[in-house]
Amino acid sequence: MQLKLGRGARTPDKHRTARAPANGARRPRRQALLAAALALPGLGVTADAAAAGNAPEEGQIGFKILYYQDSQPSGNRMKVIAPSVHVAKTVLGDWVIQGSGVVDVISGASPLYHSTLSGASGRGIEDRRLAADAKVTRYFERWALGVGVGRSDEHDYRSNVGSVDVRFFTPDKNTTLTLGAAVASDRIDSVNNVAINQRRTTNEFLVGITQVLSPNDIVQSNVTIGRGRGYFNDPYKSIDIRPDDRNQIAWLTRWNHHFESANATLRSSYRYYRDSWSVTGHTLGAEWVQSHGNGWFTVPSMRYATQSAADFYFDPPFPTGVGTKPYYSADQRLSAFGAVTPGLKLIKEFASGWAIDFKAEYYEQRAKWRIGGNGSPGLETFRAHMFQLGVSTKF
Amino acid sequence: MRVLAAVVCCLALGACGSIGSVEAWQKGNLAKRSMSFDMDPLDDRFTQHTYQSKENMSGGYGVGGGGCGCN
Repeated sequence: MQLKLGRGARTPDKHRTARAPANGARRPRRQALLAAALALPGLGVTADAAAAGNAPEEGQIGFKILYYQDSQPSGNRMKVIAPSVHVAKTVLGDWVIQGSGVVDVISGASPLYHSTLSGASGRGIEDRRLAADAKVTRYFERWALGVGVGRSDEHDYRSNVGSVDVRFFTPDKNTTLTLGAAVASDRIDSVNNVAINQRRTTNEFLVGITQVLSPNDIVQSNVTIGRGRGYFNDPYKSIDIRPDDRNQIAWLTRWNHHFESANATLRSSYRYYRDSWSVTGHTLGAEWVQSHGNGWFTVPSMRYATQSAADFYFDPPFPTGVGTKPYYSADQRLSAFGAVTPGLKLIKEFASGWAIDFKAEYYEQRAKWRIGGNGSPGLETFRAHMFQLGVSTKF
Repeated sequence: MRVLAAVVCCLALGACGSIGSVEAWQKGNLAKRSMSFDMDPLDDRFTQHTYQSKENMSGGYGVGGGGCGCN
C-alpha cells in the first residue's frame, strides 16, 4: 500500500534508495527516508519492525517454521518444531500495532544432571508452549512511546510480561535514545510435583543509544539490567538448589557497515554479560549479507560465545559438592564452555513484496573452547541443528 | 554495574558530540533492510530464545521477552 510520502513516510522498498532532494528546503520532509536506519532495540519479544523515527508505511506479515534438534554423542536430546507468525501494521498514521505468536512443540529427553540423560533411552518429555505478544507504539514528532504485553504458556510454566519503552530522536534522526522497562511474572508447577505454585518476578531495564556514524555505518549500544526474584531451581534435575535471586547485566553493541563496492553488509556484534551467580560471558557475532541482485541474498554467519561457570555449579561425578555450599547445580548450562554457531541463510525477495528465506545453523558447545579460563570437565559435547523456513509479504 | 553504565553514557555523549552529521539524502544505504538492527524479527526471536535456553547468558537486545520453562 502506498501512502502519501509526507510525514511518517519511509522508504518501503529496500531496493529503493534515497535520492537527493530536488529542493533543499524540502529536505526535512525527506528525513523520513532514513527509515530502517534507525531501527531500535525492540521491546517486547518482537523488535520494533522497521520502526525508525517514523511509523513504517507498509504493513508486514511473516511466517516461519523452525526445526530444532539437539544432541550429544551418546544420543539425541530435545526436538522442537515451532511455527510462528509476526504482523506489524501502521494505523491512523502514527500508531503501529504489532503482534506475534509461536507454538513450540517439544519432545525428547533432558539431562537429570550434567549430561546424563533421564533414563537409558531418555525418558520422554512431551510439551507444547504457546506464546503470544502484542505491542502498540505511538509516534510523535521527536519521540515514540510503546506499550507491550506478552504471555507464554506451558502446562508446567506460565509467564506474563508487560513492557514500556520511550524513544527520543534528535532533529536529524541520526541519534536515538531508548529507555525501556518490563516486568515478568512467572508461575511454575512442575509435573513431578517438586515445584508447586512457585513464583518468579523479573524486572528489566534498558538504556540504549543508536547512532548513524556515516552513510554506511550505524551502531547501537544497549545496556540491559535484569533483577529476578523467586524460584530459579530446575525442578526436573535430580538435585538443583539455586539462589532465589539473580541480577544480570548485559551490554550489547552492534555495528552494521555497508560495503558499497561489494553490495554487501557486515553486521557485527559483541555482548558482555555478567550476573550475580558469578557467570561472566562474551558473545561475538558476525553476518555477511551479500546481495547477488535480482532479490537474491546469501548470509553466511558465525557466532562465538563463552561463559564462566556459576559459583554453585559442581563438576562431575554427581553429586560431588552437594551440601558444601548453600546452593548446588549440575546443570550443563551453568558450566564453563565455549560455543560456536556457523550458519547460512538464503533470501529471495520478489518485486511483489513477497520474500522467502531458509536458514541452516549448527551449534556446538565444548568445555575446551572456552576463552579466559578452563572449561568445565566431564561433560559431553552439546550440539544442535537448526533450520528455519520463512515467508513474508507486505500489505 | 554502575561503572559500566557510566562508561556507556560517556561513550554515548562523546559519540553525539563528535560525529559528523549525515544528511537525509545520504541515507539510502542506511535504509536497506540489511542495515537494520531488526532485519528479521522472527529469526532473531528463534535465535535468542534458543541461546537463552542453552546458555546462562541473556539480555542486551531488549526487555520484556518474558520467561519460559525452557531454562
